[in-house]
Amino acid sequence: MDPLRSYLGRLLLEEITPVVMVLTTPLAEAACKKSGLSFVDMLSPFSLFKKIDVPVRTASEVPYRLQMFKIRMVYASDVRKEDYEVADEKIKPVVSEADEKALPDLLSGPPQLEDVLGKPEAELCPLWIKKFNRELMRTLSFSEHETFDHPVACLLVVSSMDKEPISKFVDLFNTNQLPSLLNEGIMDPQILKHYLVLHDQQEGPQDIAVNVLAEMRSTLGSNDCKLLCINSSTEADGSNADNSWLPYKALGLNNHEGTCFLSMDDLNEVLQHLVYIMCVPFPLRFAGGTNAKEGKLCCSVIFLALDHYSSVLPLLIKDFMQDFASNHIIPYMEQKIRVLNQQVATTRKGFRNQIKNLWYTFTSIESQIRVLGDFAFMLRDYELALSNYRLLATDYKLDKAWKRFAGVQEMSGLCYSMLDQSRKDAEYCMENAFSTYLRIGSSGQRSATRCGLWWAEMLKTRGQYREASSVYFRISNEEPSLHSAVLLEQAASCYLLSSPPMLRKYGFHLILAGNSYYMSDQKKHAVRTYRNALFVYKQNPWSYINDHVHFNVGRWYGVLGILDVAIKHLLEVIACSHQSLSTQNMFLNDFFHYVQSMGKKFDVHKLQLPVFNMSSLRVVHEDHRTYASDADVDVSESTWQELEEELIPSSSVVRTNWLDTQPKSSLRKFKDSSVCVAGEAVKVNVELKNPLQIPVDVSGISLICQLSTNLDALSSDVSGLTLDGGKDQVNIEPSVSIFETNADNFIVSQLDIILRGGESKRVQLDVTPKVEGVLKLVGIRWTLSNSVVGYQYFEFDAQKKNKKGKKGRRRPFNNNLVVIKGLPKLSGSIEHMPTKAFAGDLQLLKLNLRNHSEFAVKGIKMKISNPRFLIPGDSSDIGLEFSHCLKKQKQSVVSSKSMKENFKGLLFVFPQDIEIQAGATLSWPIWFHAATPGNVSLYISLYYEMENSSDIKYRTLRMHYSVEVLPSLDISFAISMSSSRLQEYIVRMDVVNKTPSESFVLHQLSCVGSKWAISALTSCSSISSVETVSANQAVSCFFKIKDFEADSCKEAGSGSYRSDIALHPGTSGDVFDVARAPLADFHFQERYRQGKLAKGPCSLLDFVLISKAAGNSSKPSPDLQLLSHHTCHCSARNQSPVWWLMEGPRTITHDFSKSCCEVSIQLVIHNSAEHRSSVRVATFDAMPEKSQTVHPHDSTSVQGGWYDVSLENDIKTISSAKSTHHEKQYSKSISPYVWCSLSSAQIDLQPDSCSRVPLKVCIFAPGTYNFSNYELQWKVHPSKRAQVNEDVNGPSGGGPGHPFYVTVLQSV
Amino acid sequence: MIVCVAVVGHQNNPLYLQSFTEADDALKLHHIVHCSLDVIDERVNNPKRSAPTLNETFLGLLYPTENYKVYGYLTNTKVKFIMVTTDLDVKDADARNFFRKFHAAYVDAVSNPFHVPGKKIASRSFGVRVSTIVKSFGSGTTG
Repeated sequence: MDPLRSYLGRLLLEEITPVVMVLTTPLAEAACKKSGLSFVDMLSPFSLFKKIDVPVRTASEVPYRLQMFKIRMVYASDVRKEDYEVADEKIKPVVSEADEKALPDLLSGPPQLEDVLGKPEAELCPLWIKKFNRELMRTLSFSEHETFDHPVACLLVVSSMDKEPISKFVDLFNTNQLPSLLNEGIMDPQILKHYLVLHDQQEGPQDIAVNVLAEMRSTLGSNDCKLLCINSSTEADGSNADNSWLPYKALGLNNHEGTCFLSMDDLNEVLQHLVYIMCVPFPLRFAGGTNAKEGKLCCSVIFLALDHYSSVLPLLIKDFMQDFASNHIIPYMEQKIRVLNQQVATTRKGFRNQIKNLWYTFTSIESQIRVLGDFAFMLRDYELALSNYRLLATDYKLDKAWKRFAGVQEMSGLCYSMLDQSRKDAEYCMENAFSTYLRIGSSGQRSATRCGLWWAEMLKTRGQYREASSVYFRISNEEPSLHSAVLLEQAASCYLLSSPPMLRKYGFHLILAGNSYYMSDQKKHAVRTYRNALFVYKQNPWSYINDHVHFNVGRWYGVLGILDVAIKHLLEVIACSHQSLSTQNMFLNDFFHYVQSMGKKFDVHKLQLPVFNMSSLRVVHEDHRTYASDADVDVSESTWQELEEELIPSSSVVRTNWLDTQPKSSLRKFKDSSVCVAGEAVKVNVELKNPLQIPVDVSGISLICQLSTNLDALSSDVSGLTLDGGKDQVNIEPSVSIFETNADNFIVSQLDIILRGGESKRVQLDVTPKVEGVLKLVGIRWTLSNSVVGYQYFEFDAQKKNKKGKKGRRRPFNNNLVVIKGLPKLSGSIEHMPTKAFAGDLQLLKLNLRNHSEFAVKGIKMKISNPRFLIPGDSSDIGLEFSHCLKKQKQSVVSSKSMKENFKGLLFVFPQDIEIQAGATLSWPIWFHAATPGNVSLYISLYYEMENSSDIKYRTLRMHYSVEVLPSLDISFAISMSSSRLQEYIVRMDVVNKTPSESFVLHQLSCVGSKWAISALTSCSSISSVETVSANQAVSCFFKIKDFEADSCKEAGSGSYRSDIALHPGTSGDVFDVARAPLADFHFQERYRQGKLAKGPCSLLDFVLISKAAGNSSKPSPDLQLLSHHTCHCSARNQSPVWWLMEGPRTITHDFSKSCCEVSIQLVIHNSAEHRSSVRVATFDAMPEKSQTVHPHDSTSVQGGWYDVSLENDIKTISSAKSTHHEKQYSKSISPYVWCSLSSAQIDLQPDSCSRVPLKVCIFAPGTYNFSNYELQWKVHPSKRAQVNEDVNGPSGGGPGHPFYVTVLQSV
Repeated sequence: MIVCVAVVGHQNNPLYLQSFTEADDALKLHHIVHCSLDVIDERVNNPKRSAPTLNETFLGLLYPTENYKVYGYLTNTKVKFIMVTTDLDVKDADARNFFRKFHAAYVDAVSNPFHVPGKKIASRSFGVRVSTIVKSFGSGTTG
């Protein structure tokens, strides 16, 4: 691209151009004022020549043609360095004017990524920014280190009305009046002078002026004198003329490049204005032709129109300016360049200028080189300019004139750039200039800024946007906040334009810009920049930044008074959980502040405060299933269905026959939607959370509902009912106000809560339909802090439904509920149902059922999930005094047995005659027993039928309780067989109190079943020492039990043996009957449960321990708390399945003088194994003999382990070593005896059976004998199949006989 | 002194951002970290360097702001580590070393079975470990 055509080129053409100093007389100025313009303003529009097309020849011999040219017309009084403050003040309006135009933009939505990326560069960097840049550069005009602002020519203007115009010209160029810069020698006062006589046509005929001109030509030179006639318009008298120039002013022609700054709107306005004031039809035609999009085209049209209107005047000015530029200024400059070039060449060639100049006057060689360079630059001979600048750079560097050096570097950079030769050099020069300016401190700051602007433009021209933006960023640091803001904004736009666009940096720099705008009180600009940055932070969860941006945008909108948008933005940040408390407070306060400023409540869709967790949404409605409490709804439907399997009639029962479609259809109709009952509340559970740390006040939380009484609407089309097109409509946010509560059809509940910081709450909202129809749940509404109404619609989309997978719970979720006619409904609860209980706790509770409707219900059935814990009682149980009713009574126990059959399975049918009348309450006893420790869920489902059959024949009431059962007493039994008696067992009961503080009184221990008798061990007749088991205490007690059913002796009949034993001394006669309901029932359950777990081969008996809670030692519990512990399937702790013992007389009197004594004894062998076993018994007499062979001293020496071994004895002693053990056990009193009946026997024993083996012993002398000289060997045959397999053998074993002492006395 | 370290996920979502200054400049640091992502993107997308540097995880100096220097590091899973320091002459080796330790800490943190990939790192022990690494970075350069 031709650098001249680039924006930078244009900029240079328009900014670095020859300056013409204008000197006017007051009269001349006055003549111009008639049209409302100053002389300079009048000429300015014509000082830009788009196509001047003049040949130029500078230092080289080859001429070239200059196309575009511009002259800067400046009053002499303005040729001075302006104060920075004053200059900066001039810039401010540029920015603030632009913000007026930004307002409509601010009312629209913030731009999105696509919008921004699609924007052309011109829009990103609007005209006002360009204008700002120029203004910023102009603040440096006439700085002393540069010469391109030095006047090239001087235009002296005298009115034709002036007296002695010639002398006036001389006076005008009086040195005293000239700008100080010229007088001080910084600028060369020897410049081209041009004389102009201004003639006002209205003041008089042109002749005067012509005369003056002639006079001027003769004295001042014919070429340099001109006549200009103004105010020639025929109809333009005073005021009208004034008006006729208005458009010029409106067009901003005071600005040197006014035409560019206009938008279409302005132009149209101006055009209308023009037409109106001038009443000339001609421009209208042009106006009609201004459909062209380019603003500039419009401008030229206007110019044409104006030209036409006052045709004489502008054409004259134009001609004058054209002539002035091409015939005077350019030739003068050419000539000057040639002269200077010559001069420089000779000076440089001759000797280097070694004199250091602290003050570079125009006569110094450096200044001359600079002028040469600048003139060449202005005439676009960049080669020449560059060579001179480079020359200068070295000089200035040597002189350490850094500012001048930087200025020259800056210009060289521009030259390189315009020559489009070496980018690197250009960059180097700019960088060098920039850093040098910065180095010299505050005086160079603005220069650095200007240099940066050039530099950035240069980089932008080459497409190096990133580098450009960093330059903008660097210069923004040196400028006051307003300038910095505009510069930062440009930096941002450069990041966007770079490829690929760097959006984050774009955003960041916009934010920085916005901040600066805000600091310099340009709120609209601040909002605009922040808003433009919003989209950058939207995608990613950079919430800190996003919050900051939204908050500030919102706040500033609020300051600007655009409250609705302010609130919209603040809404984005009020739910900022991640911010600190103070920030949250600030956000919220501002939000409420603006909400209150709005002065009315307003609705916000999807208000984020509090957050409604829509996934937690649960709709609870009762059709034929009703629930005792809301918690019961959370139980999964499958649990209930499983429980109710036998309870409710299967669907085939409902249909009487296949032809009878009527009742079915009514249900079928509702199949796809849920059913609720008129008059019964539909509950919606939803969780809401306060994301903030600040408490928020939420009031009036209620459901938004619709109830359509047209039932057919549902069957025809569900979506038809959804009134507003359902989801689609919801998405385009229908105002919440259309859902006004219709109190005739339904009632919604209102809920007010205060959520503390970070708190989550589950709330329940109700809607109670009053009439039949279709109820649609639309959404939720609430009021935040009494000022903002939030609402949110339920979104039931298909995806959610599937994902949730609420299979079986409820039919596919639908926010439409069919409301059917009112039905009777039971409510029920178990009175005083404990939530915590100790294991074993036994209580009588009351199930209360209440019928709220006006119809009676009947056919009540109940099913309980866990009969181990809950057993319904008998109707007679009600009103009984608890614990007393469990006591053993005189009447027969058989009647209570019937209960067990009644409670077959888990289903309990209430007596058929029971009906619950309208408004009545039925109470039914129910027994509770805390069977095992742990958390237990108890499900109860009650079935009942309606008297008046309608759509629904029956309903169920579902109750759910969960009980935490704490461990109390841990009871274990160890039963060991009595070694002396076959059917007796010693029982050790270990009781451990597992509670931390509770103590229990042991009341009674019972064996279940009539077969067993229990008694205390005779040795410890009193067990009062263990009556109370306090916390953490462990107690062991011993009992004796006897199986008197198997025993031949009928002692049981005498009543001395009982199956219960009272452990508490005072209550010996006051025992509880474990054979009656409910203890028997619970025991039945326990036995069943524990039987599943029992692993022993055989079970002997069950124990029930009943204890009472004694409470803490401090306070004895007034109400008696009864605990029953059931330990089932206890069995004797026996090592081998076969055990035996000897039976026979213990003392025998015999007369040994007559004969030897024969003793008959029996060996009783019991097989407690589950399988058949064989036992072999062998007796032997050899043992005593053996023992006799052993020498006493030998045996002792073996015992000691050390003895003197004689070789002869060695083998013998070892062989007999085993028997010494046996021998050791025998007491010295043992006398020899002889087995006399059989020496061995083989017996087969059936499982769990006894066998007796008769034995006989022959004794020869009185004494005490131990008949243990026998051995028993047994083997269990596991099963028939196992028997076949030789390898698999059952357990086997054996052992020597147990000691059995018999004392034989000599009869006297 | 390191003023800020950050972990940014592969979708340029912040996973962890911790500043180590007393001043309330969280927002500023957020901005700096956020902007650095542009530079990382650029480096990753225009690998003009020779092949060996392609596998280099350490990205070096991302960009100097007025008062800070920003260093970056990119893991194989496109997780970015960013460190903002006020030290004006940081040796590359130090920075590398820092990031290596930081990376190890990160790997340990995300190996936690309770960490949800792509979510912010909530582990407190990670925070403690990072702050010790940060502290040791300061002492490492002086000593």
